[in-house]
Parts: sequence; structure tokens; C-alpha cells
Amino acid sequence: MSGGNMLYGGDEIGALVFDPGHHSLRVGYAQEDSPKAEIPSVVGIGASPTPETNLDPETKTDNNVTPNNSDSRKYYVDTNYVNVPRSQMEVQTYMKDGMIDNWDLFEKVIDYAYANVIQSEPEYHPVLFSEASWNVRNNREKLTELMFEKYNVPAFFLVKNAVLAAFSSGRATALVVDSGATHTSAVPVHEGYVLSQAVVKSPLGGDFLSRQCRQHLDKLNIDLSPVYKIASKDVVKERDNARFTLRKLPENLTQSWQNYMVQLLMQDFQMNILQVLENPFDERVAAQIPTVHYEFPNGYHQDFGSERFKIAESLFDNAMLGAGQLASTSVGMCDADVRLSLFGSVVVTGGNTLLQGFPERLNRDLQLRAPSNTRLKMISANGSVERRFGAWIGGSILASIGTFQQMWISSQEYEEAGKSQVERKCP
Amino acid sequence: MSADVRDILDMERANTPEVTKDSFLATKKRNFERTKHASRRPEGMNREVFALLYTDKKDAPPLLPTDTALGIGGGYKQTKARLGMKKVRKWEWAPFTNPARTDSAAFHHWKRVSDDSGEYPFANFNVQLEIPTYTMTEYNAHLRNNITNWSKVQTDHLFDLARRFDLRFIVMKDRWNHHQHGAKTVEELKERYYEVVALLAKAKNQTIEKKVYSYDPEHERRRKEQLEKLFKRTPTEVEEEQILINEMKKIEARKKERERKTQDLQKLISQADQQNEHASSTPSTRKYEKKLHKKKVHHQPRPSKVDSVVNAIEIGSSGIKFADLRGSGVSLRSQKMKLPANIGQRKVKALEQAIQEFKVDPAPPPTEDICTAFNELRSDMVLLCELRTALSTCIYEMESLKHQYEAACPGKTLNIPPSMAPLKTETLDNSTN
Repeated sequence: MSGGNMLYGGDEIGALVFDPGHHSLRVGYAQEDSPKAEIPSVVGIGASPTPETNLDPETKTDNNVTPNNSDSRKYYVDTNYVNVPRSQMEVQTYMKDGMIDNWDLFEKVIDYAYANVIQSEPEYHPVLFSEASWNVRNNREKLTELMFEKYNVPAFFLVKNAVLAAFSSGRATALVVDSGATHTSAVPVHEGYVLSQAVVKSPLGGDFLSRQCRQHLDKLNIDLSPVYKIASKDVVKERDNARFTLRKLPENLTQSWQNYMVQLLMQDFQMNILQVLENPFDERVAAQIPTVHYEFPNGYHQDFGSERFKIAESLFDNAMLGAGQLASTSVGMCDADVRLSLFGSVVVTGGNTLLQGFPERLNRDLQLRAPSNTRLKMISANGSVERRFGAWIGGSILASIGTFQQMWISSQEYEEAGKSQVERKCP
Repeated sequence: MSADVRDILDMERANTPEVTKDSFLATKKRNFERTKHASRRPEGMNREVFALLYTDKKDAPPLLPTDTALGIGGGYKQTKARLGMKKVRKWEWAPFTNPARTDSAAFHHWKRVSDDSGEYPFANFNVQLEIPTYTMTEYNAHLRNNITNWSKVQTDHLFDLARRFDLRFIVMKDRWNHHQHGAKTVEELKERYYEVVALLAKAKNQTIEKKVYSYDPEHERRRKEQLEKLFKRTPTEVEEEQILINEMKKIEARKKERERKTQDLQKLISQADQQNEHASSTPSTRKYEKKLHKKKVHHQPRPSKVDSVVNAIEIGSSGIKFADLRGSGVSLRSQKMKLPANIGQRKVKALEQAIQEFKVDPAPPPTEDICTAFNELRSDMVLLCELRTALSTCIYEMESLKHQYEAACPGKTLNIPPSMAPLKTETLDNSTN
């Protein structure tokens, strides 16, 4: 402890921060600027090993593969392992509705994170977890139990990700509009506490856009072969049929894995092509904006015009679930005294908000719905890392603050009072 | 510094040894160590100028920043960084306990080995709110009966939340278990909380030490209602309101304009009245003035003193403006008769003379009537003095003009009409009467 630390209020105790989301799990050390690793929140589940696959040199070298005695299947975690075509490998996510659902798979990912990212023993590092604002008691206790019982962490804490996102923007009171992979939510945070009764969410997120994109491209009869299928491709003229050779692939690729790979392609497509207009969609306005070029993995390429805006518009034009509507509904459910301060700092976070024009459009929609003469201020980090990992960064800040160190649930406390205290200690 | 003092006192300098080849080389070699001693003022250089020079290294300052040791400025004198010669203080990953925690869990952080492991500094920030507690008997004695029908369980839940969320009532309302205890508004929570706190303080006789916060739930409710209404205005309503506000502003501006105009008009009217009064009361001066003006305009570019005097009288700046004793508090009435401070010394003297001349009591008993009469009298006296001076100036000027005329046209005499001839005694008597 030195004078400088005291001055800035920081005291780093080697804590780890985990921020699970539908797209990925963010892991890293507290007091760092960005997570050490972003692990996709899907796990590849291999088929039951037969002697011949055991001899496969590739899988042998995988330090990632977790041999499990009770069930002999192989699990593949992280991009480098999941994205490899393997026969009969199913892809499954452990998240559901913003909460951890499949605990076995989740443990595999945590194991992987400790072994390959942190590369240290869990018992040396207090752990701060983020959770969805609507997380249920059962889930919270289960996570607490898992961390203390299985990983023997010295201390544990659980914070709502909206609170962390607000902290990362330096606010204790804010309306956090978080648009992630599976849903968009508006969460009012008042002095560091989520006002849980005014949380509003909709299932319109990045994955919804991906599905829309896929539908649209299917309608255009564009072949969506992801990169793994392509061995080589020729340069062709715009809108000409693609000329490419297919790669030799292992047999029995599962549908779930193929879908996952197409989804990755769609994510790339939507981030590059889609854009939200600042005003509600208008064919004439959209037609005047220059088209954007996109080349698919098989070499086919074309320009995209007004459909770029039409697809993205679905996030906003919905009467009930549009992002602006969500935010204003959420504020409307709060006490009248806090509404002005919520409008005064609207924190925009989540990977889906990186969609071009998202914050501007949200600003416009909210301005229309906010009471007149309210000061509306949108806070959206400029960097893509800060925007995507807002909650993680907030956790990194929180866990390395000197005054926070009294908040942890220590292993001692856990042994004395059990898992139920998480409800009391972590508001 | 000491060299400067020596110089000032013209004291003897330390002898500089004669420069030989050997001594020169020797000094050159040791130049680095003894730069301090080597700094001597060159002959003929002013002490002040020398003092402006830097005192560490005696070479010319570099014109350009340079990194090379070979550069003209010399660059860095030491090519190697000279770090502190002290030993590096060690850091260790040390355990610490936090007194702000209820358990004795030890976490680790980096700290200097040399730092004494005192109390965890951040524990000081662990400020806890004082939220009163009550026992079962206390509850039954003081808190059981309440108009708002709070049960013991509800009150317990309220105080538990208050402790957990440090009286953030908005969060408390959010976390209020409305399945078990029924829905409550923020105002209801606050009302009950402050009610209980006040009752407990009363029961424990703490009222003397601490002021109990009194909460007005009705006022708060009305305030919130109004706030809600404000938020729920539709855009058309807002627009309408804006239009109305603009209209009101316009009307007010117009009203102000009208007021200003009437005021101007009144001023003009009153000014005209005053002028008329003046004209009738001092016809002779007016005449003088007119004549003089004519003269001035047509014949005489020479500035006349008379003008200024006459003007002063005309405008009404003559006389004394006695201060209104409108200040707060009690005052003596004789203060009313005091001459205001802004009167010139000459006027005061003239006034004193006039008072002596007319044999008036300089300090009459200050009754109401006497005060006003005396003040008016003195004001008139001042006016009189001024008129006298004006008159004498006029006479003087007339005389001098007459002489000028006679000098210019020898043999002729200027006949001054009798109306303009100086009537010394008469005018004086008239005005004094």
C-alpha cells in the first residue's frame, strides 16, 4: 500500500472478473483495462470417443480437452477449438435468458479459463462475477456454491452487469441500455443498485438481426458457405456466380455446429453492412446513402443498399420492443424523483450497440419520448472494446477499489452462513 | 552570494594564481569537480548582469536541444543515467486484514516491506448510518398503535431494508417484499420510518441531543403528483403552454413600453411646469440670459462667466438639498438641519456669513416647523448668495464690455438703459425680503 494508491482509492488484491454473456464469457484480472480473454459461450461436445479418434494426433495435443471420467465425451472450449470442423461435434450454449443454465458446460468453460487464461490456481484469487439484472435466487446461490465448493475461491462477489456498466462510465445512477446477442434491456441503476421492478427487456438483439440477415440473404439466393467449407476461390465480377472449390471435410458435421458457423458469418455481415438511420426508415432517404460492398467467403460479392437499413430498423420500429420504447418504459416505471437523473445519464453498452447509428437513433427516439425540457445525455464509449466489455471493465474497476474489499463474501463467511447469504450481501 | 557581498563591500578577493601551463591544465582537469569555485565574475561585467547567469555549469546555454554528447551544447553531460544510489525498497505480496469486515478474512496486496502494516486505510471510509433499533417491549409500548396500520413484521422488514440500503428509500421500495407485506409507496415507507424514529427518540428522551426529521407525507405526495403531471404532459400541451408563455411575455413587454412612455410624458410636463415657475419668479435673470445669449450668438465669441452661473440657477441646482432621514432606526431631529456633506466649503462660508448678516440663530431649537423653515431659509440664502455673485459677475462683464466699446470707438459712450443699470441696494433688499 503506497501513498499513490490511497490517493486514487485503488487497492488491487489479485481478483478475477468473470462476465458471462450470451455471446461470450469475459475473463481477466481486476484493475486491467480489458479482459484477458473472451471465450465464446458455446461449447463443442464431441461424440463418445472410440479407439480410433483417441489415436487422432490432433485431439491428443489438445490440452483443452477435458477428460471426464463419469462421461467420456470430449468438450471443446474457446474459438480455436470450437471453430474446427469435427465429425459429430454438437455445439451448445450454456446460457439461457441471460442466466447460466447448463452448469456442467459452464464448469468446463471455467476450468478452461483457469487452466489456459488465468494459468493460476483459483484459491489465490477472489472472484467477482457479473449477472443479469433479472437473475434468480436459485442461480445466484448455485454459482456461489460452485465457486466456493469446486474452485475453493478465497472470496466471491456477484454484481448486476448493469451496475458494472454504469460504473465503467463513472456513474452510480444511470439508465443502462444494454443490447447484446440475445436481448436488449433497459435497466435503471440508482446509486449503485438496480431498480429491479423497472427492468425492461426484449428479445431483439444481435442474434435476432443475424436471423433477419440470413433470411434476407436466403431470399436473395446467396450461398452462405462459411470459410471452413472453402478450399480456394476465384476472383469474379460483382454479382457473378462464385467459383470456388470445397474443402475436404470430416463426415457427419452436425447441424448445430454448421449453424453456429453460419451465425458467425452473419455476425460479421451485420457488423459490416447494417446501419440504423437516425430517423425512422424511409425508402427514399435510405436509397440516397451510398451502398456498401460485401464479399462472402465463397468469393461472391455485391453491393447492399437500402436493405441495410431496413433490417436494422427492426430493432427500433417495434411499437413495444423498440430500444427507445424500452428505455422510456423503464424510466416511466421508476419513481418520479429519479427520472430526471436517469435521463441525465443513459449508458449505452453491449456489442450490438456497435451497429452503426445505434446510439444516435436511440438518442432521437428517447428524446421524442422523454418529457419536454428534460436534459437527455447519452453516454456511449467510443472504443469497441469499451462498448462490448462495459460490464467487465466496471467489474475490473470495482474489484480493485480499496473500499470494496470489505464487501467480498469470504470463504470463512461462506462456511459459517452458507450460500443463502449471497442474496443479502450482493444486492 | 557571498561573492556578491564581498563585491559590494569592496573586500579583497581571493588571489587568483598566475596562469601557467601546468596550473591551467590542472584546473582544466579538475574543472568538473570544482565548477563552483571556478565561477568568477569576468572583469568589467556588472554584478547584476553576472547574477542573472545560471550558476551550475559555466558553458553557454545550448541554442538547440541536442542529444549528442558531442554537440555544441554538450547534450547530456552523463551518458549513463545516474539513478539513486540507495538500495531499492522491496515490495511484497502481503496479507492484510480489513477492520471494516465483520470476519477476519485476509486478502493479499502488494505493499512496501518498509511500510509498517498499520490499520487498513480504506477502513476509515466504512461509514455506517445510525439506524435506531427497538426491542419487543419498546415496540409494544410506543409503536404498536399507528394510524397507518403497520404491523410489527412490516416494520421489521422496513428497518431491515433501511439498514441494508442505507436509507435509499427508492431502492428500499424496489426491494420491498410486496408479496408478503403488500405494496407500499416510497412516501408510505418514509412516513413510517420517520414516525418510528421520532417515537423512539421521544421514548428514549433523545430529542434534546438530536433534532428529529419531520416528514410531511401529504406534501410529498402532492409534490410527486405534480411531478407526474408535469412528466405526463403531451407535446401539444407543452406547445400550448409555450405559446401562452410567449404571449404573456409580449403583453408584459407592451405594458412596460406604455409605462415608460407615460413616465416620459410626465417628466416632460413637470419640467415644463418648473420652467414656467422659474421664468415667473426670476424674470430679471431670464431677461439677462436671453440678452446675453443673443449677444453671445451674434457678436461675442468670448465665453461669458455669467452663462454658467445663470444656467446653474436655471436648472435648479442652487439651494441646498437636505438629506431625507429615511434610514432605519431612531435619529435626532436636529440631524435634519445638518448641512449635507456634498456642499462646497465656499457655499458653507457664504451661508455662515448670510446667517450672521441677517442675524439668524445658527442653531434654533429643532421643532418640526422650525426645521423645515430653517432649511428653506438656508436654501434661499444660498440661492441669494449665488444670485449675488451672478449679478456682480454680470455687472463686471457689462462694465468691461462698456470699456471695451469705449476703447474701440473713442469719443462715444455707451448708454446703458436704466432697466439694466445696476440697482445695488434695491435688488439686494428685494431679494432678501
